[in-house]
Amino acid sequence: MKLAACLFALALGAWAQKPDFSGIYEWPKSPTGAKGRGSATIFDRRNFAPLKPGGELFIEPRTGDMRHDEPRDFCLPAGFPSGMLSANAVRFIQNKDFLVVAHEFQAMTRLIPLDGRPHREGLEPMFYGDPVGHWEGDTLVIETTNFKRWSLDDYFYTDAKEYRMHSDAMRAVERITRKDATTLKYHLTIDDPKVFTAPWSQEFEMKLRPDWEQMGIFEYVCEENNRCPGGVCPKK
Amino acid sequence: MKLRLFCASAVLGLCLGSSLTAHHSFVAEFDDKQPIKMTGVVTKVEWQNPHVWFYADVKDANGKVSNWGFSGGAPGQLMRRGINKSVIQPGMTIQVDGYRARDGSNNASGGRVTFPDGRMVFTAGSEDKIPGEKK
Repeated sequence: MKLAACLFALALGAWAQKPDFSGIYEWPKSPTGAKGRGSATIFDRRNFAPLKPGGELFIEPRTGDMRHDEPRDFCLPAGFPSGMLSANAVRFIQNKDFLVVAHEFQAMTRLIPLDGRPHREGLEPMFYGDPVGHWEGDTLVIETTNFKRWSLDDYFYTDAKEYRMHSDAMRAVERITRKDATTLKYHLTIDDPKVFTAPWSQEFEMKLRPDWEQMGIFEYVCEENNRCPGGVCPKK
Repeated sequence: MKLRLFCASAVLGLCLGSSLTAHHSFVAEFDDKQPIKMTGVVTKVEWQNPHVWFYADVKDANGKVSNWGFSGGAPGQLMRRGINKSVIQPGMTIQVDGYRARDGSNNASGGRVTFPDGRMVFTAGSEDKIPGEKK
């Protein structure tokens, strides 16, 4: 009994030493200042691994069909990682079993188990995938799998001729550590063996914004008043 | 209908400007080759997602009044910048700079709003283009 109590206390002690990332943050931004034409963060193509033969499908031309070129304009999800990089506030809520990522854009909510459970099985591919997290020292590592093929990032406004999509084989790994009292390092690895010859990564930072704490995350119901989807507005 | 009116009226002015751009739907919904500048009286404000919309009665050079809709940023983005729904209220006279809807209807992006006393409010989404501005 004493041994069990000791082990429990040790486990609690180990947990207590983990960083608590709870707080409200700006979306991940590149510390180098590199950004696309819009305010959402995009990946720097210089970080990409070479494409595999056939990986050219990753960068496909726009079709003029807005449901293909900009599905968010019809209130379809941004998906991950694109949604995570959208230019809105993000709240992290953390306990020993879960990290909850509540992103204002499209009310994106990611429930990330930290209790050691494996990925779920038998799921249909998803816009946001199936995440599980674990600690490596003071680094929180989140591995997400089981995606459907969808837009990689918000490249829509940077080059109107291209549309970046990840494949359904993408595996994303986020590594979150504290850089200083008000900054998180957010390291994201994209492992997409149908598209790239190797995994590749990009480093971002997330700024804690205690001045946003009282205001919090706003409701975002895209369907509420999406007046001109695809550029077709209601007749007056 | 090709929009090409000029600022002859103090109430309506549509001028060809320079430049561009976008919120999450800007490129899909608005034509960055059709910048607009128009003045009217606010009739309604919809402070809703995914983008606020405000409407104004705009008089053209012939005195004909049309109701136009203008799109801004998401309410959350605007409120975090200190802009809330009381900034634009029915009855106010406003000048709007933005870009016309791609379908040619009486709708436009409304990135910049200027009041008669010169105060200026940027209702744009974080990724919107505003005429005359380079991003």
